[in-house]
Amino acid sequence: MEGSKILRTAKLINDNPNAQKRVPYHYVSHKTAAEENLPGRFELFILDEGQQKIEVREETKVPNTTVFTFNKEDHTLGNLISQRLLKYDFITFSAYKVPHPLFATFELRVTTDGSITPKDAVVRCCKDVIQDLSKVSLSFQGEWLNQKIIEEGQRDAEVRDQGNY
Amino acid sequence: MDIDDFGPKEPTCRMLEANDKRAYFIVRDWNLETANSLRRVMLAEVPTLAIDTVEVIDNTSVLADEFIAHRLGLTPLIAEDVDKLVDFRDCDCEDSRCDNCSVTLRLKAKCTGNDVMKVYARDLVIESMPPSDKLGQPVITDADGLGSCIVKLRKGQAIDMRCIAKKGIAKEHAKWAPSAAIGFEYDPANKLHHLDLWYEGDDPKKEWPADEVRIDLDGGPEKTDEPFNYDAVPERFFFDVETVGGLSPDAIVNNGIKVLQQKLASVIKELTGVDEANAGLDGAQSPAMDGGFGNDGYGNDGGYTTPGYGGGNAYAGGTTPYGATPYGGAPGW
Repeated sequence: MEGSKILRTAKLINDNPNAQKRVPYHYVSHKTAAEENLPGRFELFILDEGQQKIEVREETKVPNTTVFTFNKEDHTLGNLISQRLLKYDFITFSAYKVPHPLFATFELRVTTDGSITPKDAVVRCCKDVIQDLSKVSLSFQGEWLNQKIIEEGQRDAEVRDQGNY
Repeated sequence: MDIDDFGPKEPTCRMLEANDKRAYFIVRDWNLETANSLRRVMLAEVPTLAIDTVEVIDNTSVLADEFIAHRLGLTPLIAEDVDKLVDFRDCDCEDSRCDNCSVTLRLKAKCTGNDVMKVYARDLVIESMPPSDKLGQPVITDADGLGSCIVKLRKGQAIDMRCIAKKGIAKEHAKWAPSAAIGFEYDPANKLHHLDLWYEGDDPKKEWPADEVRIDLDGGPEKTDEPFNYDAVPERFFFDVETVGGLSPDAIVNNGIKVLQQKLASVIKELTGVDEANAGLDGAQSPAMDGGFGNDGYGNDGGYTTPGYGGGNAYAGGTTPYGATPYGGAPGW
């Protein structure tokens, strides 16, 4: 009873002239009708037409101060640079803000004591972080290999023990 | 205090667990902002591979085309060597589906038996010529070698889809996320008092279980007899990186570091106008083991530690000569 019912439906699908032929192909994207108004999410990290990555504006009211506007960047870079800068002696002020959460941009304001320009301070900070990351990377790779060997050895030993048992 | 005064205190890792699924490690003598940035980059900006376009040739299953396309997009694919793929937005090909920027998979199945047939991720077959053998293969970790179930078909139902997998990052869509979860913690004993524990009774310590193992790894519990150190900052970070399967856990960490370094290098390039990151970027793309970005290639050659960039270092010969354009050259100075 149940089987014949399945068969009848199956036949219907096979006979349906639309079932196996779909020309042209039907393209499917993740975008639904409700999302048509949304900006593409790639706009979070791909620069607009003619947009610069960093806009530099000197602050004329305060000496040794520059406001950098980073486009298509977020807290990952903003917090990293602004916090790191605070550790240098020659920095008197450093902070960042994201003017609006829907726009992938942040403003970094840096004031130095005058012995170095804010721009050079940011460049130096970036270089130091890159070096730090290299050290972590090297250390991580060494440790990873060591631990991997240890864990594989333990697994082999377990297998051997089971065999003996 | 200048950062250089820290001297020998360099960040070091200690691995607690390392296997195909998980990298559980501590980084010592680091700082919170860099550790957190690495966490954010590993979550959202490490490139992987995922199905992005689906051509539906036939679908007589009970699920809608869009529904299946969504499931296909979320199917993890092996992403080792994604670096060999070009970003599809930068590719010269017309409909961004050439062998340089994409991997094409075909899912073709028809149920002919009387039983319900399950179509699994292992049924995805690569049709194109990817730059490496493994790239684009569905991730299969179960003992039966099936992968995740995509659709079920009844007798006579068929599915035929051409799936174009592209390189992308999780910032655009979560299907490109390399990690299932990243555990991140510092100061498990709350010695820095960054946490204000919520409690109902008299004593928060009674209501909050302490993670003894981690506290031991982080230098023991709080010493109540000592005065509180207001200058203390977090220095030890617990990372627990768990992979979806497309990239090995160590690859996620290494690529995350690389992506963050490239981000910073692009800032340097943008601000100085000199592509000094050239050397740096090349170093970052090859395994860091060869030292390209390491201490010798990038590090203490004097040019970076003195603010003046004096002498005959790489800057002198750059495209924007520093001597000619003083730093204050911008308007308003």
